[in-house]
Amino acid sequence: MSQLGSDEHQNNDRSSQAHAFADAVVAESAKMVYRVALADLPRGAKRPHVSRRTPRVSLIVVLPENHVVSPDRLAESLRSHGNKEIDIVVACAGQPTNLTALQRSVGEAQFLLAPAGTSVEDLRELAMRQVPGDIVTLLSGGLLQDVGGTAEMFVSR
Amino acid sequence: MLSRRALSVIVAVRNGAPTLVRVLTSILSSNLRRDDYELIVVDDASTDGSPELAGRYADTIVRLTGRSSGPGYARNRGAELAHADVLAFVDADAMVEPDTLQRMLKTLADRPALDAVSAAHNEACDAGNLVSQYRCLLLRFGERRENGANGNLGAPCTLIRREAFFSAGMYDEWRFETAPVEGIDLGTRLRESGRDIVAGRDLQVTLLKRWGLLALAGEVCSRSLLIARSLGYQRARRAFPGDIVFTLSRSAAPVFAVLCIAAFSAAFLPRPRLSVGLAVVILGAIALNLPEYAFFAKVRGIAFAVAVIPLHLCIQAVSGLGLCAGWVLRDTFGDGAPDAAIQAYAEVGVESWPPVPRAPAMATTQSGATKITSA
Repeated sequence: MSQLGSDEHQNNDRSSQAHAFADAVVAESAKMVYRVALADLPRGAKRPHVSRRTPRVSLIVVLPENHVVSPDRLAESLRSHGNKEIDIVVACAGQPTNLTALQRSVGEAQFLLAPAGTSVEDLRELAMRQVPGDIVTLLSGGLLQDVGGTAEMFVSR
Repeated sequence: MLSRRALSVIVAVRNGAPTLVRVLTSILSSNLRRDDYELIVVDDASTDGSPELAGRYADTIVRLTGRSSGPGYARNRGAELAHADVLAFVDADAMVEPDTLQRMLKTLADRPALDAVSAAHNEACDAGNLVSQYRCLLLRFGERRENGANGNLGAPCTLIRREAFFSAGMYDEWRFETAPVEGIDLGTRLRESGRDIVAGRDLQVTLLKRWGLLALAGEVCSRSLLIARSLGYQRARRAFPGDIVFTLSRSAAPVFAVLCIAAFSAAFLPRPRLSVGLAVVILGAIALNLPEYAFFAKVRGIAFAVAVIPLHLCIQAVSGLGLCAGWVLRDTFGDGAPDAAIQAYAEVGVESWPPVPRAPAMATTQSGATKITSA
């Protein structure tokens, strides 16, 4: 795992603008955004046995390229856990947009940025290796063209 | 949205990485629409990356840490998180057919008075070795002898109404930490409370696990021991006559199997009369098992049926010895129970995660809160 730095900016097309946007977000909260690849993380590492009174809950929002998730769906998932404190991890392949809106919506979220082209399954496994929760809920985004409008959606391109 | 789902599929796994992906993809390949069910995987303290693999396909993963607490305990944790009115429990080494879950769900929908439905074992086993093939055929033979109305919950895939599951007190996580006989116990309790269970003999699942001789002998021994010690042989047999233990222990077959092995060992002594005795007990053991051998010959051919005769006698003898050991333990020490520390925690009502196993007299309500039942 390595923290994202504010380098490799490209400003000559829309794609590079998205990069710049994401990097600006990263600069704002560098501790919460990580660039990761599945091969970098070990599988099957034994989790330490930590006894606690209530289970730790994590929510993983899975956003492969060209997938979106609506704030309503996200809120519904959060509501289903009641008043429990939840660790939220947003796993994106490629470059997310509306990242600040997403961050505003979910609060203290951790963002995992996987290389473009990472499959849904790899993205889910990658996030699973990162989250600390005893109970982990995975919420997959829908395809951009199936869901429609993106004004309030959180998109990964 | 979650509450509208028709089915919650719960898979409990412990170090099941080699088979888990195939099991989960078989569930995802079901004819059911993806939005109609949720997939919950409960990891029972695996060390082989099973929860990460499960995360590739499941909606919810429950990760239990510390020591393994058994499949019944793990399934109960999954059931507590399930949202649907029908719960499906699928073993982490059992691959469902594309229409299995859909047909089982339809069976429950068509018969409102029915509380649970179970699938049967496929005659074909995924592993090609003789021991695995023999085990799957033996299970199938037992199930074929059952009346379809006499279903059980010890099968690798069962569907049960949520209300029935919780009112029966869920799986017994107190006594069954190792050998997977908690399904038989739950089925027995459901029947005794007047609930209706049915076996779908044409609903089949394929086992992916590979058994060697020692693994099969160990499994049969611990299963026999636990059934005799905790459930009571006759009571469990009424609930699940198709179980591998009851199939092996039909009539006096285990006694003949033990005699057979003893006589075979004695035949190496220089006493010619022992050979006659050996021949008699072997013929007796084979005669008692003729229905099994006829079934094996019909499905796999005569060569297979002949080849498994020694294996069948050995496993039958192990089963008989396991049952005897269970009866002795029951008379000497009583029913099995967790260690003293767990009993103390349970008595005090310590709140922790993972939760302390609950005693059989404690039933859990649908909200997860514990209450004392009159049982």
